[in-house]
Amino acid sequence: MTNLYTITPLNETAVLVSFGNVIEEEINRKVISLHRKLIQEPFEGFIESVPAYSSLAIFYDSIKIKSLAHSHQTSFYFVKGFLEKILEESISVGSEKSRSVLELPVLYDGDDLDFVAQQHQLFRDEVIVLHTSKTYRVFMIGFLPGFSYMGTVDERIVTPRKNSPRTNVPAGSVGIAGMQTGIYPQASPGGWQLIGRTPLKIFDVKKKSPCLFSAGDSVKFYSIDKTEFEKLNEY
Amino acid sequence: MSIKILKPAMLTTLVGDGREGFRSFGIGPGGAMDYFAMKVGNYLVGNDHEAVMELGYAPAEFLFQKSSLACITGKGFTIHVDNEIFPLWKPFKIKEGAILKLIKTIPGAWAYLAVHGGWRADEWLGSLTTNLTAKAGGFNGRALKKDDAIEANESKIQIDETKILPWGISANELSGVYSPTNEVRCVLSIETDWLSPLSKDKFLSEQFAVSSQSNRMGYRLQGAALSLSERIEMISSPVDFGTIQLLPDGNLIILMADHQTTGGYPRIASVIKADLPKLAQILPAEKIKFKMISLEEAERELFSEEQKLGEIKMGCHERFKKHFG
Repeated sequence: MTNLYTITPLNETAVLVSFGNVIEEEINRKVISLHRKLIQEPFEGFIESVPAYSSLAIFYDSIKIKSLAHSHQTSFYFVKGFLEKILEESISVGSEKSRSVLELPVLYDGDDLDFVAQQHQLFRDEVIVLHTSKTYRVFMIGFLPGFSYMGTVDERIVTPRKNSPRTNVPAGSVGIAGMQTGIYPQASPGGWQLIGRTPLKIFDVKKKSPCLFSAGDSVKFYSIDKTEFEKLNEY
Repeated sequence: MSIKILKPAMLTTLVGDGREGFRSFGIGPGGAMDYFAMKVGNYLVGNDHEAVMELGYAPAEFLFQKSSLACITGKGFTIHVDNEIFPLWKPFKIKEGAILKLIKTIPGAWAYLAVHGGWRADEWLGSLTTNLTAKAGGFNGRALKKDDAIEANESKIQIDETKILPWGISANELSGVYSPTNEVRCVLSIETDWLSPLSKDKFLSEQFAVSSQSNRMGYRLQGAALSLSERIEMISSPVDFGTIQLLPDGNLIILMADHQTTGGYPRIASVIKADLPKLAQILPAEKIKFKMISLEEAERELFSEEQKLGEIKMGCHERFKKHFG
């Protein structure tokens, strides 16, 4: 792995490994590789790591690390040293396990579908074809429990967020924000351009693993009609 | 039935230790706004990691439907049991039929009502604390309302009177945690260097008022407008309880217990963990001043805070054992 990264304290119990300030699949692969490596082989005092587009936060038990350390160095210094060692061992990015692609049904009837089409002088159906044509990468999960940031969409449907966010976006709504696409796991305020909705619960508190996706997963959408939507509807 | 809510505070939820290990799914740890008061509330009634009731900003009233060993910690409230004033930070026996009132008096925002055995709460992903966004954990994943009846877990101790018990936390011990009230210590964070030199100075020299648009997710501040040296569009990256972000309008927001797991605004500093209880207790319109300390100092403060909590726990549990056999 290249040494184009920085390790900086977020606070006294977390560090951030940053690979830049960009949305790029190659960079996100490095983030996810490091995330998975830490879960497989954590250091003593590791609590959890949180992947984002191009950075990974590592939360740790500063007190535990301090009590284990043999010198007077800070816990941050210890964690930084550990991370540098792993990063030098060059995590082979290619080793990212190719998980199966999750296919997700969508009824494309969103309130902003016409707007997205008009923006790009496309027909509604063309927007649907373009949105369902690509396999998306889940870059990260954040904002809400289970909200996955996926991308990147075909440049012909890249559309900025709404100027004024909606006060209530229903759960299951599928939207576009810039080159990202995503699904609202819960009803919430939100500014993404809504193009459709999935009948499936992508986040279910009753399940042992409540979130359908993990960062690094691959997702593909397919178009369904209203009858199929009603049949599959889990909300 | 153990307790009936006659009047909830502005926000009343069951809180417990944070939910760790799920941030990568967008699920933050949550937990108490003032972890010190929550933990000590538990210790004072002989508990360790049980669920505690967190009450924010407004008066509240409860009917005890079962005799209990209870305690209220936190700041900003006066307690009345059947119209008699009771102390905070001291456990008390309370008889079935007694009315407990919390009256909002002095500065402070959050109070914690702990009972021996703990409040019965739903466990979700290894934690009892309420997640209001996911609607899970705590009491049916929601805030408590008037007429809700909350159960306490089974308790073996016998209570047949209303009486204040002879142990508690001294004002001296508390002042170490909550004073000086307006000084909040922080450390550098990821985008600190993005601030213009003038803004860096202002951040540490000016006072900032907590705005009324503050809640369990974040405390917005009002004061000198700060700016970056150059406009940089930031992409989403992880944040934490205590992260201070600079909003596009030049104002600051400090992320609190129910913060989102990631954010897209520059992280210009982080409030140290040891000062989060103090910060949480600051009311809207009150002013704070930031003081930058080194990471080494912040780690030391965290360590001594943990030691202090350990000592308090041991002391409380000893007194509890001696009293109840």
